[in-house]
Amino acid sequence: MKLSALHQSYLSRRANSFRASSSPLDPSSLDGGLKSIFWLVLHGLCCLVSLLLGFRFSRVVFFLLFSPSSTPPTALLHSTSPFRPASLPVQSLNTTVATPSSRVVVGRHGILIRPWPHPDPVEVMKAHRIIDRVQREQRVQYGVKTPRPVIAVTPTYVRTFQTLHLTGVMHSLMNVPYDLTWIVVEAGGTTNETAWLVARSGLRVVHVGFEEEMPVSWDDRHRLEARMRLRALRVVRELKLEGIVMFADDSNMHSMELFDEIQKVKWVGAVSVGILVHSGDPEEESSVAQKDDVENSPMPVQGPSCNSSDQLVGWHTFNSLPYEGKGAKSVGDVATVLPRKLEWAGFVLNSRLLWKENEGDKPEWVKDLDTVGGDAEDIETPLSLLKDPSVVEPLGSCGRKILLWWLRVEARADSKFPARWIIDTPMEVTVPSKRTPWPDAPPELPSNETTITTEENREKPGTKTRPRKSKRSSRSKKKRESSVVDTQVSARNSGEQ
Amino acid sequence: MGTAERSKKKVLLYKKAIVHFLLCFVMGFFTGFAPTGKSSIFSTSPPVLLSNRSAFSPAQPGELLLEERTEESGKFNRKLDESEGENSSKEEEKEEDLIPRRLIILVTPTRMNDRLREVNLRRLSNTLRLVPPPFLWVVVEQKSDSSEVSEILRKTGIMYRHLVFRENFTDPEVEMDHQRNLALNHIEHHRLSGIVHFAGLSNVYDLQFFDEIRAIEVFGTWPMAIVSANGKKVIIEGPVCDSSEVVGWHLRKMNNLTETKSSPVHISSFAFNSSVLWDPERWGRLSSVQGTTQNTIKFVKKEVLEEETKLIGIPPEGCSKIMLWNVQIAPGTTPNST
Amino acid sequence: MKDWRWAFLGLVCFGLVLRIGAVERGRGQPTERISGSAGDVLEDDPVGRLKVFVYELPSKYNKKILQKDPRCLTHMFAAEIFMHRFLLSSPVRTLNPAEADWFYTPVYSTCDLTPNGLPLPFKSPRMMRSAIQLISSNWPYWNRTEGADHFFIVPHDFGACFHYLEEKAIERRILTLLQRATLVQTFGQKNHVCLKDGSITIPPYAPPQKMEAHLIPPHIPRSIFVYFRGLFYDVGNDPEGGYYARGARAAVWENFKDNPLFDISTEHPTTYYEDMQRAIFCLCPLGWAPWSPRLVEAVIFGCIPVIIADDIVLPFADAIPWEDIGVFVDEKDVPNLDTILTSIPPEVILRKQRLLANPSMKQAMLFPQPAQSGDAFHQILNGLARKLPHDKSVYLKAGEKVLNWTAGPVADLKPW
Repeated sequence: MKLSALHQSYLSRRANSFRASSSPLDPSSLDGGLKSIFWLVLHGLCCLVSLLLGFRFSRVVFFLLFSPSSTPPTALLHSTSPFRPASLPVQSLNTTVATPSSRVVVGRHGILIRPWPHPDPVEVMKAHRIIDRVQREQRVQYGVKTPRPVIAVTPTYVRTFQTLHLTGVMHSLMNVPYDLTWIVVEAGGTTNETAWLVARSGLRVVHVGFEEEMPVSWDDRHRLEARMRLRALRVVRELKLEGIVMFADDSNMHSMELFDEIQKVKWVGAVSVGILVHSGDPEEESSVAQKDDVENSPMPVQGPSCNSSDQLVGWHTFNSLPYEGKGAKSVGDVATVLPRKLEWAGFVLNSRLLWKENEGDKPEWVKDLDTVGGDAEDIETPLSLLKDPSVVEPLGSCGRKILLWWLRVEARADSKFPARWIIDTPMEVTVPSKRTPWPDAPPELPSNETTITTEENREKPGTKTRPRKSKRSSRSKKKRESSVVDTQVSARNSGEQ
Repeated sequence: MGTAERSKKKVLLYKKAIVHFLLCFVMGFFTGFAPTGKSSIFSTSPPVLLSNRSAFSPAQPGELLLEERTEESGKFNRKLDESEGENSSKEEEKEEDLIPRRLIILVTPTRMNDRLREVNLRRLSNTLRLVPPPFLWVVVEQKSDSSEVSEILRKTGIMYRHLVFRENFTDPEVEMDHQRNLALNHIEHHRLSGIVHFAGLSNVYDLQFFDEIRAIEVFGTWPMAIVSANGKKVIIEGPVCDSSEVVGWHLRKMNNLTETKSSPVHISSFAFNSSVLWDPERWGRLSSVQGTTQNTIKFVKKEVLEEETKLIGIPPEGCSKIMLWNVQIAPGTTPNST
Repeated sequence: MKDWRWAFLGLVCFGLVLRIGAVERGRGQPTERISGSAGDVLEDDPVGRLKVFVYELPSKYNKKILQKDPRCLTHMFAAEIFMHRFLLSSPVRTLNPAEADWFYTPVYSTCDLTPNGLPLPFKSPRMMRSAIQLISSNWPYWNRTEGADHFFIVPHDFGACFHYLEEKAIERRILTLLQRATLVQTFGQKNHVCLKDGSITIPPYAPPQKMEAHLIPPHIPRSIFVYFRGLFYDVGNDPEGGYYARGARAAVWENFKDNPLFDISTEHPTTYYEDMQRAIFCLCPLGWAPWSPRLVEAVIFGCIPVIIADDIVLPFADAIPWEDIGVFVDEKDVPNLDTILTSIPPEVILRKQRLLANPSMKQAMLFPQPAQSGDAFHQILNGLARKLPHDKSVYLKAGEKVLNWTAGPVADLKPW
């Protein structure tokens, strides 16, 4: 269409030019300069038109030449992909037919590949912001409508595994999309180690010290931890914190759904806790063959037990009978560490239950915090706070859904770790140059030393001995002197800090 | 019309012109043969009616519609449309959000009969959820009927790629390497550019770790602590550094002499720029990974040790801070209740 | 002369104002839709607005063909079978042809599958011709209008052209006998010889039960920016690339394979439907034809469809605000896809998602068994109802003939 128009204009131009050319050629007409310019322009135009014509013609020739051979060359080649949108098994090759009625050209197209590098980092960030916005909107649309604050209670103490466990809990809490207060109760008094750790969470933390040291026996520990939790509950009462109290032990692992689920609680709720027991023998990890039988045994679960009409009828408790006599007695025993019958972590409370003043809506069936938890009394579960345990609301599809797990792993009580996990390379232990760079003696953490001894493979022999290093070695010597052999809370080198 | 002289001149002129036209024609003819998609310029039909399109267009300025008609495509130029909206919203945007960071690609192989797989996956995902973007988690899993892993991943909100393989393995180490290779092949196939790190499910991270490894140019390594249940020892593995220069390695428990020589570097104690996999020229190597071996992970391990000039210690201040722990827990043994 | 010029200018200005007005109105309208539905049209009830007479044909035109190959029930073109079943029990059906507004001829023209399960419509023209011959000789209604008040379901790629190759289809043009009828087809490309004016474009058939089984709760965070699973190159049929999908899919791969935001691959994961539900954008590029089932999937799963198919005619475009729920990218703009998508303001994205969450939109994309109000069956009927009453011109004078029964390729004229 366009082409014919072009052609016509070309023809008419030619005709014009013919006519026009005749008059300027007349000696009596305009001067030569103007004439030549006009000619040049005309000439250029005509050249362009013939270029277009040539192009067009080539297309026609192309079509005529190749389209006869384009009749199905490869009949019924079945595509292997399940995703072919249209089931066209055959295509004709090399045809570029301009469909007269559609703007879109049928035939081969170029594959457009842009020359500049990508992805553009700023665009990537923009996309992530969009994703973030969408996810926030999803929470607004489909999440809990009027979320209540969450108060997490964590008893802890400084030890080898503290950083690991507390970091895990901390990361869970940091992901909670609701207003959160974290009450950390530390046995043996508050320490810088713990304070430094929890401060990095950016959460609102109440760090409370507890006078007593963490005992070595598991039974004693459970008792002490219960009292530490009660201490935290008193903090809730004193500060009159509003919200849902949960017990996030540093031996817990949380599914993020837990935090949505506990929003449903009215007064006291219970969720199921998956109990992950481990044999406690670090050497066992290396042998793989014996794992099959483990697979078959189902994971033990603690938590509310419901009947078919979703009524609380009782409790799944941990059956420690098979472990009779085999359970770990104290920290570091190479035996399975067993949970209590019901762990605190499986319960959540409305903080109003703990408030001193009777706000009017505080139910009758709750004991006053001051009447429980005397020094001798063993509060096994928050159920001790209730006069009537049947008021507990089972959460998580009535306990069928496991939303958190319990895994108690500790190093031996006397194990050491570098303070704040910063290695102070002990330069006094040097590898004699005669020795092989990879000695077979394992570098171990000597029990009477606070730092980890490492042996250095000197890639460049005879490296510079710097004054800095000698300073360091003297420091670590000092450390060695100051550290005590058998403390359970070790490597916070008070001498150094 | 004119004299003979004039007509002669005219004939000459026409000859010249015709030659020119012919030349152009031939040129056009051959351009026509060049296989481009752009040829459609010359076969456009009248512009398509815009009205039915614009009826639903949310933010289409009126002037733009008129402009569109002159557009070669006769269709909306989305870019114009969108950049308009962008300008208005740009003011609200906090620009600091847009500071580009390097992509971190975390590769996590999972073992089917790992009792702690699901739990550890959740715990690790809680940590990774806090890593600032861009971040990509490549999780590898053996094909199974259980959709548990995909369900856990789905709920995290993390950008991940879930790779599934069919092969069966007896040796867990071989399986882990296979899974890591699978992930590396994915990275290589897609030419994803970022810092690759192998994160075992039993690893525990300090969040600072992820900020530090973004600084890696080619290879980076750091010390990690291996702690075990009821263990007395904390084993430190990884580099010994002089500022960020790696001068040696902490040695791990190597009772086994054959193992000793193989690799002193724990799989989780190094990271590397993924372009090492697919852009060998950039790092001054001759062949790509595919050319040398199918075992990409072996190649990477080798490179980490050989390319020590390109290896930096993390964190750069003497790589003395431990930001990564590996927890070794023996599987639970439920005594027979009979 | 001058007056004319002024008048013209005035007209242009007036037109401009009108245009803007229209845009403004278009902008205001959808906000209403968010709270309610995707527009009243989608919730129209066709019952009482039209009457359809279903011709009774020998079973060789429909049921027998299905018996031969039950795979027809699950492929993308299964709409023709389900529509027939639906009409048989629909309240719009009338047994009295005298009062019918529309006549339906149940021919399963795409159910003739190759052993591989591909619907290749080689015999369809003859079958269609034979069916029309039958109804025109047994009933008086065809001859009255030569099919102008008849509708046919021809869901194949190039619709009523009955050829799977686009060039061939274009050459053939729409089957002569169908040139006055209303066509219900999946194919949709503007100004294409195989898309008749006034055709009703429908979504391809996607299995409703299967999709429902894979639904995940809407709060699952969307963590994929762009998602696509499918072919980039059809190496078997287009080894060099550039022909398949007009090069658009190849361009997607070449430009964005290295972008972590683009989760694109040829591998089909078992979590395909779930992954779509956690993606923000789902690419719907053309394949051999402009449409693909991804369109339906994207709408069902609330993933904003990124439609890359120039001049596509979308299903039920008169009832579904595709411009509002989707993103359109020109084939030539594929290399800028990342820029285009990342520069959409988040508010616009959220609004598209809210609209996509609308159940009536999803319903209109599906052919559920049994039919539900507002589903694709009802939308087809609504479309037909909106064409009523028939223009006087559709009725021919006694003895008048418009269609040339002997036109078209000789092979098509052979008896079926």
